[in-house]
Amino acid sequence: MSLAILTDVTKCIGCLECVAACKKENNLNMDVPREWQKMDGLSARNWTSVLHKPDNHNIRKQCRHCLEPACASACPVGALHTTPEGAVVYDNSKCLGCRYCMMACPYGIPRYDWDESVPYVRKCILCYDRIKEGKQPACTEACPTQATIFGKREDLIKVAHQRIKENPDLYINKVWGEHEIGGTSVLYISDIDLGFLSYQPELGTKALPRTTAPAMNAVPFAFVGMGAVMYGINWVIKRRMNNGQETGKEGNDGTDE
Amino acid sequence: MVQMNRVQAVKTVLWSILGLTAAVGLTRFIFGLGATTNLSDATPWGLWIGFDVLSGVALAAGGFVITALFYVMRREEFHDFVKPAVLTAFLGYIAVVVGLLFDLGLPWNIWHMIIFWNPHSPLFEVGWCVMLYTTVLLLEFSPVPLEEFSRYAKIRTFLMKFRFPLILLGIMLSTLHQSSLGSLFLIMPFKLHPLWYSNILPVQFFVSAVALGFMMVIFESLVSHWLYIKDSETERIAKLGFIAAWVLFVYFLLRIGDIAFSGELGMIFTGTWEANLFIVEMLISVILPFIIFVVPRLRYNRKLQWVGSIMVVFGMVFNRINVGGLTMIRATGDIYLPSWMEIIVSMGVVSGAVLVFMFAIEKFHIWEERPRHPESNPYAPAAFDRSSGAWLGSPLLAASTRYSLAFVFAFAVGFALIPDNKIHSEGMDDIPVTRARGADTLFVDGNLNNFGVAFDHKKHEELTREGQACATCHHMNIPLDKNSGCWECHKKMFTVTDVFNHDWHASAGGAAIACDECHTPGQQRRAESAKNCEDCHRDLRVENTPIEVKAYLAPSYTDALHDICVACHLKKAVELADKPDLGLCPTCHGGETPENRRELYKYGQAARSLKPVVLPQVKKPE
Repeated sequence: MSLAILTDVTKCIGCLECVAACKKENNLNMDVPREWQKMDGLSARNWTSVLHKPDNHNIRKQCRHCLEPACASACPVGALHTTPEGAVVYDNSKCLGCRYCMMACPYGIPRYDWDESVPYVRKCILCYDRIKEGKQPACTEACPTQATIFGKREDLIKVAHQRIKENPDLYINKVWGEHEIGGTSVLYISDIDLGFLSYQPELGTKALPRTTAPAMNAVPFAFVGMGAVMYGINWVIKRRMNNGQETGKEGNDGTDE
Repeated sequence: MVQMNRVQAVKTVLWSILGLTAAVGLTRFIFGLGATTNLSDATPWGLWIGFDVLSGVALAAGGFVITALFYVMRREEFHDFVKPAVLTAFLGYIAVVVGLLFDLGLPWNIWHMIIFWNPHSPLFEVGWCVMLYTTVLLLEFSPVPLEEFSRYAKIRTFLMKFRFPLILLGIMLSTLHQSSLGSLFLIMPFKLHPLWYSNILPVQFFVSAVALGFMMVIFESLVSHWLYIKDSETERIAKLGFIAAWVLFVYFLLRIGDIAFSGELGMIFTGTWEANLFIVEMLISVILPFIIFVVPRLRYNRKLQWVGSIMVVFGMVFNRINVGGLTMIRATGDIYLPSWMEIIVSMGVVSGAVLVFMFAIEKFHIWEERPRHPESNPYAPAAFDRSSGAWLGSPLLAASTRYSLAFVFAFAVGFALIPDNKIHSEGMDDIPVTRARGADTLFVDGNLNNFGVAFDHKKHEELTREGQACATCHHMNIPLDKNSGCWECHKKMFTVTDVFNHDWHASAGGAAIACDECHTPGQQRRAESAKNCEDCHRDLRVENTPIEVKAYLAPSYTDALHDICVACHLKKAVELADKPDLGLCPTCHGGETPENRRELYKYGQAARSLKPVVLPQVKKPE
C-alpha cells in the first residue's frame, strides 16, 4: 500500500493553510530568515512552503517522498529510510550529521539545523504518525480548495490522468512524479512547467540509487581483484629475482631491515 | 631575541595555527556549524569535506602506492621513501578523521557506522575502509616507534611477520575507498557539471590518487629535507616522478576519453567559467607536471621537482574541491566561500599532522640518519633574551616556552576575532531602563530613540507575588542582562514578526528584484547589508513617527498600532473640534494621566533628555 499526495497547481490559491497546519502538527517554531536558507521558503522549521509564480500560480513545495529515494540510499547509517506506506522518514537517533542526504537529493529538500549544537536533518515526513493511524497528513486536511489531496498512489495517478483528460487545454499532459527518477509519492499536475522544483528541469526516469549501484556492486570484485593482481605481480617478480640470484645476479629477499 | 632555526620557526607558526584552531573548534562545538561555517542548505558540504576529507584521503595515498612499489613490485631503490610515506599516510588519515569530526553535525555518533549498516551507501563503504585502513596503517607503522623500546621487541617481531599481508590488505582497502570517494558523487548527476560528472568517477579518483600519492611522497621528501637541511634524493625523486608522470597520463586519458565518449569535448572550449576552471585544473594537475617529469632534462632539476610536485598537489586538491561542490554552483545557484574559521580549522588539522610528523622524524628511526635535534643544538648561544633581559632556560625549555606562548596567544586572538553576531542568532536587544529601583513609574526607552514610554513599576511589583519576586524581571544570573524586556511577558504586543517574504521579492514571478538591488554588492548577503523596507515602500510609515522598521522585521503589534492609530487620532483631533480627547493618550490608556506624564517629562528631561511623544495643542470646547 503506497500512499501519496497529489497537488493540483491550478487549484491552489496560495493561502498557506497547509504551511500553518504543518507547523502546528510538527511543533515547528517561528522561522527567522538566516543567511543559510534557500530562497524557496523551506527551512529546518518550514517543511512545506508555497512558491508564488506569475499569473497566480502557487506551487506547494515539500519532500517528494521518492519511491527509490536518493537520500535514503546515500545515508551511511540508514537514518533516512522508506516505510511501507511510502513515506521517507528520518530516525534522528541513528544520524551522524554527514549531510550526504542533502547533497544527494535532486530536489534539494532536506534542511539542516545550522544554528543548533545538536543539529538534525529536517524535512517533511508525510506526517508519518498520522498516516499510520489511518488519518491524512495535516497539510492535505487543512487545504480549503482540495488543491492538495491524499490517497493511494495508484488512485491518485488515475485521478491525475482523469483531470488532464477532462481538461486537456488547461493542463500540461504530464504527471510530475509518476515516472520521474523512478517515481515519487508526491505528485503534481500543473498548467505550467514544474522543472524549477528540481536541480535540472528533466530528471529522467532512472532512480538515483541506481547510479551508485554499479560502483557499489563492483566493490567486492575490486577488493579481491586488486589483492589477486598485487599478489600475482609479487609472485612473478619474486620468482624472477630468485632465478636471477641463482644465475649470480644481485637479488632481494623482500625485507627492508 | 634568541635566534630561531628553520625548524623552530616553522613549529612556532604551526603551534599558533593550532591555537587559533582550538578557539574556533570550541566555538564550533558550543554554538554549532552555523556559527562558524558558511555552509548553507544549498551547499551542505564545504571546505571541510572538499579539502579535509576528499583531498586529505587522496593526499595520504602515498602510503599505499609506495608500499606497493617497494614490497610488491620490489623496487629496492625507493626504500628510503617507505617509512616517511607510511607515516604521512597514517597521520593523513588521522587528520581526515579529525577534520571529519569538525564537519559532522553529530560527531559523537561517528561509530554508528559500525552497527547501523547501509551497504548501498558509498559513504558507508568509505567509512568502513577508512576505519580499517587507519588500523592497518597503525600496524604497518608501529614497528618503527616500537624499535625504540627493547621490551616491546616481541610485539615488533610479531608485527613484522605479518608485514606483507598487512601491506597487501592496505593496498586493497585503499583501492576501495579511494575510488568510492568518487562514487559518492555518482548520485548527483543533476548537480555536478558534466565536465566532472562521469560514470567512471571512481576509476578517475583512484588513478588520480595513485599519481598524487607519488607526488605527495616527492613533495614530502623535498619539504622535510629542506626543513632539516639535508641533501635531497634528486635522482630517486626523478625516478619516482617519471612513474607518476605516466600515471598522470593514464588519468588524463580517462578524463578526456570519458568526456569525448559522452560527446562533450566541445564544452571544454565554450569559455564558460566552468570550462575555464576545467582547463586550469587539467593544466596544473596533469599537463604541466607531466611535461616536467617526462622530459629527462627537466625532471632532474631540483627546482622543477618542487614546482611539479606542488602543481600536482594543488591541482588534485583543486579537482577534489571542484567535484566536491565548486562546479555545482550552476545547479544550486548558491555561491559558497568558506569562512575564515573553516580555513583555520583545515589549516590547523594539517598543522597538527605536520607537528606529529616532525616529532616522529626527530624521535624515531625514520630516516637512515636521524636529524640533529633542532631544540638541543650544542652550538646555540645561551638562551638569554637580550631585549627583555630574561633568562629563557636551556634551548629546549626556551623553545617549548615559545611554542606554548604562540599557542596561547593565538588561542586568545582566535576568540577575540570570532564575531559576536555570527555566534548568536539575531534576537531582541536588552532594553535599558533609566531609573533605579523603588520608583513608581519608570521611563522606558526601548527603541533607544529618545521616545520614552511610561512604565508603571509599582503596579508590576505588586503583580509579581506581592512585590517579592524582583527576579521575575531582574534575573541577575544572565550576564549583562539588567532586566527582562517588556516583550518577554507581553509577547503578543511586542514580538516582531518575520512577515517579510524574501522569496517573493527575489523570485521572477514576484517582485523580480535582483539581489544587488537590495543587498550592497560585494558584501555578504544578509539582512544587515540590505536596504530597509522604507527605501522602496515609502508609504510604509507615516511621517515623523517614532516607530522604526528594521531590516526584515515588521513592527510589533503595539508599535504598529501606535503608528497607525496615533497618527490618525492626532489628525482627527485637530479636524474634529468636538472630539479633542482623541489626541490624548489617556483616552485609550486609562491609567495614564496628564499629571503624571508631566512628572515623567520633567524627570526625563533631567535624566537623559528624553522626548515624550509631543501631542498637538488642542483647545477644549468652551
